[in-house]
Amino acid sequence: MSDQPSGESPASVAALQTQLRSAGYLASRGLATATLIGMRLGRPILLEGEVGVGKTEMAKCLAQIGGRQLIRLQCYEGIDTYQALYEWDYARQMLHVRALSESELTDAGAVSGLYSPDFLIERPLLSAIRAGSDAVLLIDEIDRADDEFEAFLLELLSDFQITIPEIGTIAATSRPLVVLTSNRTRELHDALKRRCLYHWIGYPSFDEEIEIVRLRAPGAVDTLARKVVAAVQRLRDMDLAKPPGVAETLDWVDALGVLDTDDLDTAAAADTIGAVIKDRDDLELVEAELDRVVADA
Amino acid sequence: MPEGASSPNLPGSWQQPDSEPPEIVERLVGFGHALRDEGLPVGADDVVMFCSAVAELTPSDLEDVYWSGRTTLVHRRDHLPLYDDVFRRYFLGHAPPPGTEPFPAEPISQGLSGTLNVPDSEPGAEAGDDRPMVLGRQASGVEIRRDKRFAECTPAELAALRRIMAQVRLEPPRRRTRRRRTDPSGARLDIRRMARDAMRLSHAAPALHRLSRAEHARPLVLILDVSGSMADHSRNLLQFAYSMRRAAQKVEVFCFGTRLTRITPALDRRNPDDAMKLAAGRVLDWDGGTQIGASLDTFIRRWGRKGLSRGATVVICSDGLDRGEPAALAIAMERLSRLCHRIIWMNPLVSDHADTPPSTLGMMAAGPFIDDLESGHDLASLESFASRLAHVG
Repeated sequence: MSDQPSGESPASVAALQTQLRSAGYLASRGLATATLIGMRLGRPILLEGEVGVGKTEMAKCLAQIGGRQLIRLQCYEGIDTYQALYEWDYARQMLHVRALSESELTDAGAVSGLYSPDFLIERPLLSAIRAGSDAVLLIDEIDRADDEFEAFLLELLSDFQITIPEIGTIAATSRPLVVLTSNRTRELHDALKRRCLYHWIGYPSFDEEIEIVRLRAPGAVDTLARKVVAAVQRLRDMDLAKPPGVAETLDWVDALGVLDTDDLDTAAAADTIGAVIKDRDDLELVEAELDRVVADA
Repeated sequence: MPEGASSPNLPGSWQQPDSEPPEIVERLVGFGHALRDEGLPVGADDVVMFCSAVAELTPSDLEDVYWSGRTTLVHRRDHLPLYDDVFRRYFLGHAPPPGTEPFPAEPISQGLSGTLNVPDSEPGAEAGDDRPMVLGRQASGVEIRRDKRFAECTPAELAALRRIMAQVRLEPPRRRTRRRRTDPSGARLDIRRMARDAMRLSHAAPALHRLSRAEHARPLVLILDVSGSMADHSRNLLQFAYSMRRAAQKVEVFCFGTRLTRITPALDRRNPDDAMKLAAGRVLDWDGGTQIGASLDTFIRRWGRKGLSRGATVVICSDGLDRGEPAALAIAMERLSRLCHRIIWMNPLVSDHADTPPSTLGMMAAGPFIDDLESGHDLASLESFASRLAHVG
């Protein structure tokens, strides 16, 4: 296929898992498979999942292991092409015109020089097209952007080229690895989903989460890690409005580390519960059952 | 892919003409068909992708095939169980008890939540304090699940529906966005445009161009009470919801009696009678008891928290005759008021333009969190509400 990325991809799913692990990311087989297929076939990868399960982190680690540049586009309601693609540097163009003398202005080249790439401010999408396979393009929280922006992305992700009227068409020589994340605050358009490989990241199992804590917080005592993970998993089973993600588990371990605590008892948990539970209604619910949450597994 | 035309029967062979034995391709394509037969939207391009993915991985075991298919053929989380099911039947040839996955995949928890921090252009008014509750009239506690058929719309009703649609199209509720647009009386100067003009016109003094904040359709969430005590009004409410859905851009509609049902997709039919029949079929608890608090709590947990009501005008249409705990309703209303722009409560027991809520238990519990109380006891009053929506929202 002509549109395959030129950047080399790992030999197998297991190899990719090992590489990610060395970067501190524990990828399940499904996630690693989806990523490898995306790298080989030059397709964007759409990661959906609960808050704080490591969707964004995945893109960062992918950039790290491949020695690629991470280009991040954070989406929000009302994002438009000026913030996503490119913008002319009007102030610099003005200064340039002022600096030119009358005679120079009549020269046709001087005017067209105003619209040279020197005066173009690159925004993330243009940077990614220029960088090609040297980049990992992270389009974060695409569900926050408007529908129109999604339609625009659709066009970009299929051709990896953009047209700037004053300069012409800029096409990617090789495709960047594109990772889209969504928290599912709204349903994405089917057309966009079809362009992407889809993977749902759920909460890790007890053993997987212990592994993650060991990887990300190597300083933590093993018994403490087990207790924290067990407590977080119990919290996820409770009827909370905002169940804690893996990020919260790691925050909790760190918070206990700051207090120099090797054991998670009710008192220590009460002091640090703010690292995991960030909703007042949930807090009331959890505080009433704190003994059960931190009980020995 | 022009070569595709020459071998239309084996889409999987387009990209790997020689690398894959045809029987494997047939088996993989067959799997795509099996998924399609079960109702998954699997396109020909998805199947091509699936075959390419399998070819890239040169799978050593079936698990590679499982994950390749899962990432290329499934585009929604809701479809994963069905995919697992078909995979098990197609490749493993048996059907273990439902609920088990063919391979130990990551656990998928049921609770869904998300945070959405949209920059708030107009922070909504904070809700007031709880007030002591007084017992009032109560609703019946029976839950009757039964289909409710709707008679066809009368010509007069159709005319009213058209009027509502026209009215709302003319003046939908709006909110300001971060974007700006050209506006001769705007407060901000459009420096970018002026600089551009100045360059074009060499050094002539540029004309002043101004900008103001653009406006966007404000989402509207309708939550309709279809319990027994509202039986006389549910037809009108559904007609109202249908016209709002057709007229405005971002409208979501929910029904509740003892449980909450989302009927937005059903209302997308062109023909109002079809739409209402379909919507009526989705709701299982017509004319039953009322659990307003529990229903609103479901809304908040499943939709509100994920951002559906963020910046939205939420219209609750109910008489407030609640069989649930008043405290549960008050808590749900308080949470809802923090998750949306404005709560409008339409109560058919309210006479037009009265300011005092009727003394039902539910209304007393919900009262402190209601921004506007409206009547809506017939289609005409709903019509007048629609015309004022742009201003109250």
